[in-house]
Amino acid sequence: MGTTLDVIKDAFPYLLQGLYMTVLISVVSIIISLVIGLIACFMRMSKYTILRYPAAIYVNIIRGTPILIQILFIYFGAPSVLDIHLSAFTAGLIAISLNIGAYNTEIFRGGIESISKGQMEAGRSLGFTYSQTMAYIVLPQAVRRMIPSFVNQLTHAIKDTSMLSVIGIAELTMVGQSIYAMNFKSFEILTMVALMYFITIYTVSLISTRLERRFVIS
Amino acid sequence: MIMVKNLTKSYGDIEVLKDISTSIAPQEVVCIIGSSGSGKSTFLRCLNLLEEPTSGDILIEEKNIIDKSTNINKLRQQMGMVFQQFNLFPQKKVIENITLAPIKLKKKSKKEAETQALELLEKVGLSEKADAYPSNLSGGQQQRVAIARALAMEPHVMLFDEPTSALDPEMVGEVLRVMKQLAKEGMTMVIVTHEMGFAREVADRVIYIDGGRIVEEGSPRELFANPTHERTKAFLSKVL
Ligand SMILES: Nc1ncnc2c1ncn2[C@@H]1O[C@H](COP(=O)(O)OP(=O)(O)O)[C@@H](O)[C@H]1O
Ligand SMILES: [Mg+2]
Repeated sequence: MGTTLDVIKDAFPYLLQGLYMTVLISVVSIIISLVIGLIACFMRMSKYTILRYPAAIYVNIIRGTPILIQILFIYFGAPSVLDIHLSAFTAGLIAISLNIGAYNTEIFRGGIESISKGQMEAGRSLGFTYSQTMAYIVLPQAVRRMIPSFVNQLTHAIKDTSMLSVIGIAELTMVGQSIYAMNFKSFEILTMVALMYFITIYTVSLISTRLERRFVIS
Repeated sequence: MIMVKNLTKSYGDIEVLKDISTSIAPQEVVCIIGSSGSGKSTFLRCLNLLEEPTSGDILIEEKNIIDKSTNINKLRQQMGMVFQQFNLFPQKKVIENITLAPIKLKKKSKKEAETQALELLEKVGLSEKADAYPSNLSGGQQQRVAIARALAMEPHVMLFDEPTSALDPEMVGEVLRVMKQLAKEGMTMVIVTHEMGFAREVADRVIYIDGGRIVEEGSPRELFANPTHERTKAFLSKVL
């Protein structure tokens, strides 16, 4: 058994790999969740019930259930019925993307609704279609206001990925667990894990605050 | 140019426009007056279908716009609209506000659209503001840009919904001057306004709306000097 310093030195490269996986899944799922959010948002705002209802059900189910259940459901539950096989990585990516996507749906909706109705009317009165007005006039303004919220969603994604340890993805939490399972230094390892999460999340939220100052207040 | 027949508009059970019929000739300037909540904006917004009429017909240059087959976006390109709150696009420069629609909808080249925009800015007296953002302009300047933006689509009719109501008193004049100039050039205009002096001077016809109905219409001279209905008299005695 080495000193605490040795423990840290030995564990660090593995934990760094875990952090890499955490950040990778978080960033990729944020990107996917933006697409999901935008689509679901327009479905929610549609005048057609057939589009509105599925989107509302999706958002409410995600917001009304624990993320852990969502992960287990997508990795174990759904494949067993649908007779497909998902790798843990794919299942994890899907689960986090769907989860964040539901929250992004509401961010998009709030952002679009925060742009005054007059902007839509001005666009329509010039002869733009609804979609053109959205694309050229409303969305660019709304997205500007939403950027800090999306960056903030990244901090949620980073925290949520720690749940993926239950399906065996080698992200930061999982790697930490396997290390102290072998060396029994749970205090040291978990402190390192927590610190690494903290630094990553803190950095992201600093960026978010900066962007907020730049985009929302001006 | 515009023919309105038995137009009604309801929100739920509340009928805010009741059996409105009137017509507007080419090059005519029509001012719509009436107290707040009487349905003036709703009427104006029905003309370019920003509000969907509940029943009745609206013919614009012989085309019935209530018809489902009418291309509403094409139609709106021929009808400029100016709003009380200006509704300029805040993230775009003044010149971009004006060129956006001609470039995207009329497929003008950027250069062509910008030349036209500069001409329009000169016309509304804002040549030096081409590169400013709307938030750096006064209300009167923003409204003049909004007029230029609408004119850039070369509309056949201009609709104004209380264009000076959101302005500080000292800026009202500069906007009205631009509108007067437009009228002189022969633009067909429908103007909802509380500026009775302007209506008297510029309008060919004044329509008084109350409770969602046209109570009285006529030349400004007739209507202001000799209103025939009690309600018109009561309204005019309050605002004149
Ligand atoms: N979207 C709406 N839903 C319900 N009622 C409305 C709506 N828009 C206008 N109204 C009602 O219709 C009436 C006429 O409104 P409006 O045309 O704006 O009047 P004006 O422009 O003459 O002040 C008002 O009583 C107003 O409350
Ligand atoms: Mg009004």
